[in-house]
Amino acid sequence: MSGPVLVLIERRNAAPVRPSLEALGVGRRIAGPPGTGAVVAILLGSGLEPAVAQVAELGADKVLTVTDARFDVFHAAVWSAAIAAIAEELEAMTILVAGTSNGRQLVGRLAARWGAAAVTGIADISRAADGTLSVVRPVFSGRALEEVKVDAPRVVLGLRPNAFPPPDPSDSKTPVEAHAVPELSALPALGTVTGFEPAQSGSGPDLSEATVVVSGGRGLKGPENFRLLEDLAASLGAAIGASRAVTDSGWKPASFQVGQTGRTVSPQLYIAVGISGAIQHVVGMISSRTIVAINSDPNAPIFKVADYGIVGDLFQIVPALTTEIRRVRGN
Amino acid sequence: MELLVLIKPVPDPETRLRPNATGTGLDTDGVKWVLTGYDESAVEQALLLKEAIPGSKVRAIAFGTAPRTEEILRSALALGCDAATWVERAADASVDPMRAAEALSVACKRTPFDLIVVGKQALDDEAGLVGPAVAERLGVADYGPVVDLRWDAAASKFTFARAIEGGSERMSAPTPLVVCLQQAWNDPRTAKLQNVLKARRIAIDKVALADLPAEIKSAPPGTHVGAFRLPPPRTGAKMVEYKTPEEAAQKLVQLLREEAKVLP
Repeated sequence: MSGPVLVLIERRNAAPVRPSLEALGVGRRIAGPPGTGAVVAILLGSGLEPAVAQVAELGADKVLTVTDARFDVFHAAVWSAAIAAIAEELEAMTILVAGTSNGRQLVGRLAARWGAAAVTGIADISRAADGTLSVVRPVFSGRALEEVKVDAPRVVLGLRPNAFPPPDPSDSKTPVEAHAVPELSALPALGTVTGFEPAQSGSGPDLSEATVVVSGGRGLKGPENFRLLEDLAASLGAAIGASRAVTDSGWKPASFQVGQTGRTVSPQLYIAVGISGAIQHVVGMISSRTIVAINSDPNAPIFKVADYGIVGDLFQIVPALTTEIRRVRGN
Repeated sequence: MELLVLIKPVPDPETRLRPNATGTGLDTDGVKWVLTGYDESAVEQALLLKEAIPGSKVRAIAFGTAPRTEEILRSALALGCDAATWVERAADASVDPMRAAEALSVACKRTPFDLIVVGKQALDDEAGLVGPAVAERLGVADYGPVVDLRWDAAASKFTFARAIEGGSERMSAPTPLVVCLQQAWNDPRTAKLQNVLKARRIAIDKVALADLPAEIKSAPPGTHVGAFRLPPPRTGAKMVEYKTPEEAAQKLVQLLREEAKVLP
């Protein structure tokens, strides 16, 4: 039988990030039921204990910790050198990486380092009886789907966030093993972190990993009216996005822009408020599972891509929606 | 400062996508191939740096088949790049993004560089593998997704921010370096007609098939596209009928909970 499936667990503020937990579930799916193929979760950095405790309840066969403060900053060069060395040692054939900003930066480098094939943006995955992995990935901004077959024995797989459910916690505890820090010689000259600026979205989740996104467009008429969306987003635990018209007008910084020249999002629920639905915007959100559009213009193109639509005055609809969501959620 | 920018011809974003006869790729009949998306932004970024750093030169490098690859290199030259390298690809060769990165690194190794700028992903396959894989093959650091890239002449370092979850991480890094750009310009520069004409006369350097390692030419890459299809067409929104905003909100929330099952 082939070696273990390695699943990289990324952390933020000491906790494992949700996309990494989703990857853990995928690991079990492609390794086979417990007892057939091993799933090994791997964590790098210092102060790993809280994350390890959480990961140990999620059905992996082993949790490996590589404790070294050099991993506390993400350098693709350093992480890929370490992970490739460990994968070599464990005789792994598959490494799963979440589609976070760091994860997306890691896959190509790790695959080149480890001599592996690589596929990213994976929305579905299956293993044929002969062991061949086959994945589905949206391409052309979700306007087409590719089914990619992996022909190489080794592969690094990058997963799309929000495409897979994270495993449910169980009572059985995964054994935890401290792994020696691999030799990290001959690293290239690296950059230095000089500061961190928290996103202006404040307390909400990040746009690219949120399970719900509420986006505003020109229909909001002015930056001050974004507070309507902030209330709605707060009631849903959603991140806030914006159309290009909004960021070009300076109502919101460019980091809020969803679309071809902005961020691509694929949440469970995307609510477009006062957004007409130019293709520029649509390509950035079309892979969302469910799309809701609220717009005063019944002919707005956004209603062609949305699953549910409300034609009406957003200044009345949005507050009513916020109230209703608070009511059903009991707050 | 020697700046390299890696680009790729992609179908015009307005292209109506159709699977080819075998259902394993895009039907490229009549497709217009262009320099666009993050690749176009990467060129814009390289040219902005060239303007900011005296004595800089920008070389655009692309891997692909003729004539589309030559055309986008000419577009890059018309925008202001100083030189271009075409890495030849056999029309019948099976290639995946890791293989493309291998071919591009051959060209990068032939020319001294301080910085390689690459878009965080191409607009067609959205793989995002090339920048980091090229960096590994060249043995230099790579960072991404990068915004606000500047040259700090006093420190002899590039400064930038990584647009990551929860905020932006400010960094500085020495050369040589690969940056994968997140930042996109909504209105990048367009080429003047006289520069388009001038670009036609600039000689494009070529990395010929014969110069590439044997496996790039013949061995199958690690992955292949088994099927290419269009998602089921969206049938248009189910419209919520209502008399009051409250009723609209109630009906929508009910649909989201009971039908779409996206709200607890």
